[in-house]
Amino acid sequence: MTSRSLIAALASAALVVSPARAPAQSGGGSLPMPPPPSGAKATPAAASKPAPGTPAAAPGAKPAQGAPAASGAKPTQGTPATPGAEAGAPATGTEGTPAATAPATDKKPQAAAEAPPPVPQKVDPGVFDQALKDYFDGKPRAAAGPLYAWLQAAPKTDDNYAWAQYFLARSLIDLGLTHAGASYLARIARERSNPNVIPRALDTLKELTDRPHDDVMIDEQVFGALDLGFLPEDTGAYAHYQQGLVDLRVGNERWANTHFAKLSETSAEASRAKFALLVTRLKQVKEPSEELIADFLGLSKDEKLTREARNEAALAVARLRYERLDYPGALEAYNLVKLPELDPGRASLYLEEAWTRYKLGELRASLGILTTLDAPSFRDEFLPDKYLLRALIYRDLCHYLPAKRAAKELTRRFADSLEAVHNRDDLTQDIRLRRAANSHGGTQRASRFVETLDLEGERLGRYAGSFGDRLFTHLTKLYDLSRAEAVRVYDARLAEAVRQEADTLLRAAEQVRLMEYEVGLKLYERVKKGAKLVAPEDEQLLTPDSVAFRFDGEYWNDELKSYRVSIESRCIEETP
Amino acid sequence: MRYALLILLFLAPGLARAQAEALENPGAVSAIQERQYRMNHELYLGVGVLPADAFYKGLTGSVSYTYHFSDTFAWQVGRGTYSYNIQTSLRRQLERDFDVAPTASAFEDQVQWMVGSDLVWSPLYGKTAVLNSSVLHFEAFLIGGGTVVKIDRQDGFRPAINLGLGVRMFSGKTLSFRLDVTNNVVFAGASRIINVPVVQLGTAFNFGATE
Repeated sequence: MTSRSLIAALASAALVVSPARAPAQSGGGSLPMPPPPSGAKATPAAASKPAPGTPAAAPGAKPAQGAPAASGAKPTQGTPATPGAEAGAPATGTEGTPAATAPATDKKPQAAAEAPPPVPQKVDPGVFDQALKDYFDGKPRAAAGPLYAWLQAAPKTDDNYAWAQYFLARSLIDLGLTHAGASYLARIARERSNPNVIPRALDTLKELTDRPHDDVMIDEQVFGALDLGFLPEDTGAYAHYQQGLVDLRVGNERWANTHFAKLSETSAEASRAKFALLVTRLKQVKEPSEELIADFLGLSKDEKLTREARNEAALAVARLRYERLDYPGALEAYNLVKLPELDPGRASLYLEEAWTRYKLGELRASLGILTTLDAPSFRDEFLPDKYLLRALIYRDLCHYLPAKRAAKELTRRFADSLEAVHNRDDLTQDIRLRRAANSHGGTQRASRFVETLDLEGERLGRYAGSFGDRLFTHLTKLYDLSRAEAVRVYDARLAEAVRQEADTLLRAAEQVRLMEYEVGLKLYERVKKGAKLVAPEDEQLLTPDSVAFRFDGEYWNDELKSYRVSIESRCIEETP
Repeated sequence: MRYALLILLFLAPGLARAQAEALENPGAVSAIQERQYRMNHELYLGVGVLPADAFYKGLTGSVSYTYHFSDTFAWQVGRGTYSYNIQTSLRRQLERDFDVAPTASAFEDQVQWMVGSDLVWSPLYGKTAVLNSSVLHFEAFLIGGGTVVKIDRQDGFRPAINLGLGVRMFSGKTLSFRLDVTNNVVFAGASRIINVPVVQLGTAFNFGATE
């Protein structure tokens, strides 16, 4: 493990907590907006920002004040009639349709582009009431289409405009179209037309951040840019945390601290902020101090953090101690990593522990962990070091043939990738490197987001009938644009990540070649007269408290951490 | 001599192959784990049946205490079983249709209760995958000891030898479930032996086990 790889690993860990900045604007920022309400002609300003004096409607007319389920306080009571009928709203389908569309939906946008704009439809104000009723009756599918139709016809200054956006978003989320829902919630947060809706929208958005999501649209453009004065405590804490992260990413630790200082000491965000700060500091120092390690250690036991974050902190401690050659300390820190029952864990964790045990001279335990890495759960992992370490252990035990074989295994297994690197091919097309790049960090997040968009895009097709043409066309366009942007971001990250993985592979291949040479010399070394085998080490594999299950190729998840190899050293003592 | 050479010729490829295998994949791999479940003071409550006698079937309730010296060896210090007996239709028919007296010696062999003590040896400890989603640990044991059986007659105390086997499924550090199948060989008279098989299922509570 080099210090470079350590920093990379820790940075990757930090990204779990602090998503990386996407290199460009998200699709979320340029989403096709619903067509302006017909009233917009008369009051164009209303389209871009709410009228300054736009208060929430009278209390009795707001859905927020009666519980939403209470239809007695229906939002449309007292709402002015929708002026949609006066001037038609343009059809969504005619707004600059991008060329790239999903194959399944190719025909519709084209048809929409060729067809003349449809005649604007008048929407009955009762539509909003009925849609709300449908939503609260557990029929989001029935609610979505009418809510969208109402939004198209109503002016943005309407008291219920933000509520309609909110319930449309909730309906879409309930139907599994989280990105579409998030885009409406983000719009509520940006437009801020109704202060009663914003906290709810932000809470829902915050929940969505646990899944693959548009980092730029939600984390940066919403939480990273919020005016924090009016927010409820929980949401405010999350927004402070996100804004602090944005500052950290641009290298402004002082500003970040201003945000982080506002977090309650007992909040989960405070712990996450501390982790992000520590990782940032780690990047800046050459020699990490004992204090820094102690801080990470404290975080690894902080119950306010998620288990994943605690594990990342424990891993950071282990890596830092490894770098300081404190191998027993590193091993202790690896043991702090807690996994759910029967969870196979992470391959990189095993490999790091194997290196630590190797450095401690626990060759058999290290070899046992390498056996773990051959388990089906890790078969597709990109771990060139594994072969190198195995070869080193066999060499140290003077089993030269297996050492040579282990070394050769790397070049054999990664032959295609190595050839691609040597031929200067497009590395993103190499399946192993691509898989390795996709398995962690920002590339993994981007890849998951693309997958989510694909999945939701397919799901959208199922609702074509119940959504109606207008909402369906609008959402199709939204998903197409978002996907195109997500793919662009993913490709950019992939290209960089693949290059790093190729570097790792080349370094390992280089070391393996040296190893092969060294082992080749050893293989044909003459044994001097009078040389004897080194006395076998005392291995106490089985204590009275232990139970042993002989391994016969069948991997059990509960045993992955327990494999030990019984192997004799074949080294000989040189006589003086 | 010729035969010896022939045998050697046949064995040679196998030996060479084994040696090549050992050279290529040296070492033996084992999963060595802390034993997850260890028994210490065990209190057992169980229910069961005495299924064998043709004239009655016994429904039993049992309680026992076992001290575990090690993971493989234990002493069931005391065990008591009470049997609630239900007459079979055969017995009723014999009494009704053939006027067999209720005091006939075969009828008086029914067990009322029994107490005893046993030694337990658990050579097997293992685990099994349940629907590929969880792991269930178990042990299997042999049991042997002595019993005093009270049968349904005057001065009805009889000595017996109890032999059997069982399996224990561990549910947690303090709770496990046991299935015991034993046979009490009761010395009913000078030259008469009765076999009283017992099938029991119960819950065992474990106290004082180390983590």
